[in-house]
Amino acid sequence: METVDLARLQFALTAGAHFLFVALTLGLATLVAVLQTVATLTGSPLHQRMVRFWGQLYIINYAMGIVTGLVMEFQFGMSWSGLTHFAGNVFGAALAIETLVAFFVESTFLGLWIFGWNRLNKWAHLALIWIVTLTAYASAFWILIANGFLQDPVGHQVVDGVLRLTDFGALTANPASLVAFGHVLSGAMVVAGFFMAGVSAYHLRRRTIEQDFFRKSLRIGAGLALPATLVTATFGGMGFQTLQPGKAAAWSGGADDLARVQADMVARFGPGDYLPPVGLVQAAGITMMLLFAVMLFFSAAGFLLMLFRPAVRGLRIWHWLLTAMIPVPFVTMLAGWVFREVGRQPWAVYGLLTTADAMSPLSATEVRVSLIAFSAVFGVLILVNYWLLARTARRGPDAVALGAERPIETPVPALTF
Amino acid sequence: MEIFVLAFFALGYFLLASADIGVGMLLPYLGKTATERRTVIAAIAPFFLGNEVWLVALAGVLAGLFPELEGELLGGNYLALVALLVSWIVRDMGLWLRGRVPAAWWQAGCDGAIVAGSWGLALAWGVIFTRILPVPVAAALVVAVLFAMHGLAFAGLRLTGRLRERAVRLTGGSGERPTYALTATALTGIVVLAGADLDLAASAADGATLALLVPVMLVLMPLLVLAQAWVWWTFRHRVTGPSYL
Repeated sequence: METVDLARLQFALTAGAHFLFVALTLGLATLVAVLQTVATLTGSPLHQRMVRFWGQLYIINYAMGIVTGLVMEFQFGMSWSGLTHFAGNVFGAALAIETLVAFFVESTFLGLWIFGWNRLNKWAHLALIWIVTLTAYASAFWILIANGFLQDPVGHQVVDGVLRLTDFGALTANPASLVAFGHVLSGAMVVAGFFMAGVSAYHLRRRTIEQDFFRKSLRIGAGLALPATLVTATFGGMGFQTLQPGKAAAWSGGADDLARVQADMVARFGPGDYLPPVGLVQAAGITMMLLFAVMLFFSAAGFLLMLFRPAVRGLRIWHWLLTAMIPVPFVTMLAGWVFREVGRQPWAVYGLLTTADAMSPLSATEVRVSLIAFSAVFGVLILVNYWLLARTARRGPDAVALGAERPIETPVPALTF
Repeated sequence: MEIFVLAFFALGYFLLASADIGVGMLLPYLGKTATERRTVIAAIAPFFLGNEVWLVALAGVLAGLFPELEGELLGGNYLALVALLVSWIVRDMGLWLRGRVPAAWWQAGCDGAIVAGSWGLALAWGVIFTRILPVPVAAALVVAVLFAMHGLAFAGLRLTGRLRERAVRLTGGSGERPTYALTATALTGIVVLAGADLDLAASAADGATLALLVPVMLVLMPLLVLAQAWVWWTFRHRVTGPSYL
């Protein structure tokens, strides 16, 4: 592989790993905030336990999202200094606003929410989780403003070979950003809905003692999954109206379309190959569509089933399927990203800067070293996250440390044989 | 003004985060048993997330106000930054996950991750500073030691009893407050010198971008400090036992 392909693979792995965590974080934060609102308003102990249990899973996952996000933010400057040099005046502005308006506030208040449990006034504590949730949305918004600019650059002017920001309003009203924001945010709700329903179904199938707790949770998850799937699909449909010519041609796969885009690009930019890898774009698009159909069918059936108490309580085949479905929204999300990002190639900033020109002057060895290091770390992170989430989910609400009056102490090792 | 914004976030990061990094570096010294180590971690627990976001903000400020410099600095110190990021991840995972599994082997592993990651972070910063400033690479150790000293002073301010004595003993008996002031001054000096060595004025973003971002940032900065001050105020008391981590 060429150095630029290694750097792309590294960025794809970083963004992909980040996206797995962030999708769940965005959705779960919303559910936790709603649960805490109910708990605070009604004082219901059941809802308080729900906040702590689902909040614990949210925080385990959140930590993974932060660290992969760090690597992504730094990688723009490390691997893609051609991009920061050429488009920094526009692209960098969106990143800067994201870090200060959104992420800084989100992290500061999340720490306060976690460690301030049982210390702060309950209304202040409730306000914190809402600020954390809303700043998480703001974070997604500004990142997608940056990404939408790469997909369909607006609000700029090329002066002396670099971009200048001319219209901030156009940058923030970019349909390529706004539609994607709606799509990603509702997609995150799909992830969280399926996750909550799947974890709850596990406990109901195993007939653990927390019947009431998980019946309610299952209904919240299943109740969210269907509308969220429909909204996501609506934004996705709108997204197809904003496809670049190259991506649209690759998706349709028609030889005439592809030849027309290629000829048009050659006329504008000189000789070169201006088409994205057609097979990969199509495979990703088809995967996304097929899994959407599966989720739509499954969540519609689930939406009806959850209205019947005996089904919620004891329809074990449904419970089993709900748990088995947890990974599906994640895979769909990743397929959607591959479709969007690979379909933009060979451009980093569509029609303005190629990915090859966006790269930093790095040696193949440097990128190999970092690729191996980051891949190893991300691989471990994904495995540890999966294991800890599964373990914490399986152990149920009584084993949760978050918000406990006293931290759970390490037991003195006992002989078990 | 854009240089002031950059300096503000750079100093914020190095003054605040080097304290929790330093505590992580000296975790085996400050806490001899697993329980003691958990208390030591509780001393930094509510702060480390709020401290490290200053660096995320610093990277954002670089991207927005100094995009040219961002590419040069980050691309030019590629491997040092890879080491920095890997150390950061390893350390954060150790901190976040230590309390999640109540088993001795798990907590020992997490302690190892915290210590190794903290040293890795401090040394990577040391190397990056030696690449900006005209000093030999060996000076990276000085930076790492400074982080550790700053951490000791912070631990002295946050802990009680035997744990506090341990922290204070290594700093020469001048008391944790003077030590903290001294290490903070030294860190400020390094950051200011490094900043003076970079050609900041020439690498700022285009005027239109600055005209948009700088006022927004100047308005935000006091609010961000207020948000952080709420954290500092809430957790102003010394810790005596474990927390969520």
